[in-house]
Amino acid sequence: MKGVKKRFRLSTVLYLLKEGTKNIWNNRSMSLASIGVLVSCLLLTGAATLISLNVKDVVKSIGDKNIVYVYLNDDVSKLEAIALGQEIKKVPNISECVFFSKDDAIKQYQESLGEIFNEMTGKSNPLPNAYHISITDLSKYKETVSKLQAINGVNKISNRSDVAEKLTKLDRLVTSAGVWIIIILGLISLFIISNTIRMTMYARRFEISIMKSVGATDLFVRIPFVIEGMVMGLISGVISSLALMFLYDGIMAAVNNIVSFKWISFSSVYGAVLVIFIIAGILIGAAGGFISIGKYLKKEGGEILGW
Amino acid sequence: MIEFNNVSKIYQSGTHALKNINIKIDDGEFVFIVGSSGAGKSTFLKLIMHEETPTSGDIIINDISLADLKRKDVPYLRRMMGIVFQDFRLIDKMTVYENVAFAMRCIGAHPAMIKKRVQYILKLVGLSDKMKSRPSELSGGEQQRVSLARALVNNPSIIIADEPTGNIDPEMSYEILDLLSEINKHGTTVIIVTHEQELVTVFGKRIVEIKDGCVLSDTSLNRAVELDDVDDFFFG
Ligand SMILES: Nc1ncnc2c1ncn2[C@@H]1O[C@H](COP(=O)(O)OP(=O)(O)OP(=O)(O)O)[C@@H](O)[C@H]1O
Ligand SMILES: [Mg+2]
Repeated sequence: MKGVKKRFRLSTVLYLLKEGTKNIWNNRSMSLASIGVLVSCLLLTGAATLISLNVKDVVKSIGDKNIVYVYLNDDVSKLEAIALGQEIKKVPNISECVFFSKDDAIKQYQESLGEIFNEMTGKSNPLPNAYHISITDLSKYKETVSKLQAINGVNKISNRSDVAEKLTKLDRLVTSAGVWIIIILGLISLFIISNTIRMTMYARRFEISIMKSVGATDLFVRIPFVIEGMVMGLISGVISSLALMFLYDGIMAAVNNIVSFKWISFSSVYGAVLVIFIIAGILIGAAGGFISIGKYLKKEGGEILGW
Repeated sequence: MIEFNNVSKIYQSGTHALKNINIKIDDGEFVFIVGSSGAGKSTFLKLIMHEETPTSGDIIINDISLADLKRKDVPYLRRMMGIVFQDFRLIDKMTVYENVAFAMRCIGAHPAMIKKRVQYILKLVGLSDKMKSRPSELSGGEQQRVSLARALVNNPSIIIADEPTGNIDPEMSYEILDLLSEINKHGTTVIIVTHEQELVTVFGKRIVEIKDGCVLSDTSLNRAVELDDVDDFFFG
């Protein structure tokens, strides 16, 4: 069959687009159900992702602010302290290491709390010399701290490992739960959409049998159903990103009542959410359309009609 | 040209629908396929349309061996044929015009071309004034003519009709067959499956009779075969 023109002309493409959207309307109750399911799936997925992003953000900001104080023994002189600093710097997983002398410390107290500390300067200063260090990877907090502790001359270390550990755990949980949510809800959406399209196809089986008998290509028969899925996906993507926008600030404010933190503003992620939701919706829809028509395309004549 | 060489068809169920069929139909021929119910007539047409594939033997249509035909080329094979069904198979939510235009849309024809051609074909089958009607508003004969118009609209080189007169009265049947022989005069090969032996003999065309999956007689072959059949009929 050489020399046959196989490209579609514009009028044909428009015709197929129209047929696809008509399918949605003709099968509107099922289409609506599909869109509903897809919207819920996208919303849950989006919410899980945003929560994970927020937790990551909080963990990171704690990591930034989390300057661990390494207090030195009282009997360590200033010179010895400098040598100690070199040793501290050698410990892995430390990004910054600043010496903070007992004089600096008391000055800070004086500045923030006033004159009651005036008498504690010089020899009567009860505060220890310290190093302020920041830890790069909070998940290795414990290891790092024990290494610091092992250094001779280190007295004690301000301990915030609990918070760091809990947040890291939470982040891991949210991330892995998020991945599962995405996979499971994606499969559910795919299942529902392909079933809806299968229903449209069943309703149109008579036309499909005629299309095949007059020589329509598989692609031509398939396109309207794939478009049907894609349009449902597009609609779902738009609806769910709008819904997420309205829900997000409310949810975050509610969460903020329990634990106070500064959440990521939705406007900073809205563009990405919209694009990702629309692409995800369209992909799931197209896949649904593709899956469901495959079985029908292999059938011939009366078989399609169930005779 | 359509050529069947030693074609047999055994369905999954084990039914031996066609047995070692050898038939040659030349371009521009007009052939009636007759035979009783279950003889294998529809199976014969389905093999031509490539809705079914033979269990053994070769089928060659317009120099294409169907055994070598790739799946993606099947639609282009079908575009060479126009198919008329006994039950018309018209889409009732479409008008007569749309039903015929649908066949052209399916092969990606140009809209201007569709408009021109559909009007021409509907005039040819005498349905210009019913263009906007729904199939359900038409008589059986009219519906069959719409079905015929749809089969003709893509200008096929072969027209295949499975019992085109099965659901209409004799007068209408005659009209449809007349229309088909008119189309045949312009060079289109016409293959018609029918029960109605009487109607067929009136037309004086080639008649192939199938019985139990075998070719019982073929008027295009020499008379000796036919006389054998007559002998069979009276004495066999
Ligand atoms: N899809 C199928 N699967 C199994 N057996 C089939 C199938 N189609 C037809 N047959 C069988 O093959 C034989 C021939 O059937 P076919 O439809 O070709 O007969 P026919 O000559 O067209 O009969 P009719 O005049 O009743 O339409 C019959 O015995 C029938 O039951
Ligand atoms: Mg039959």
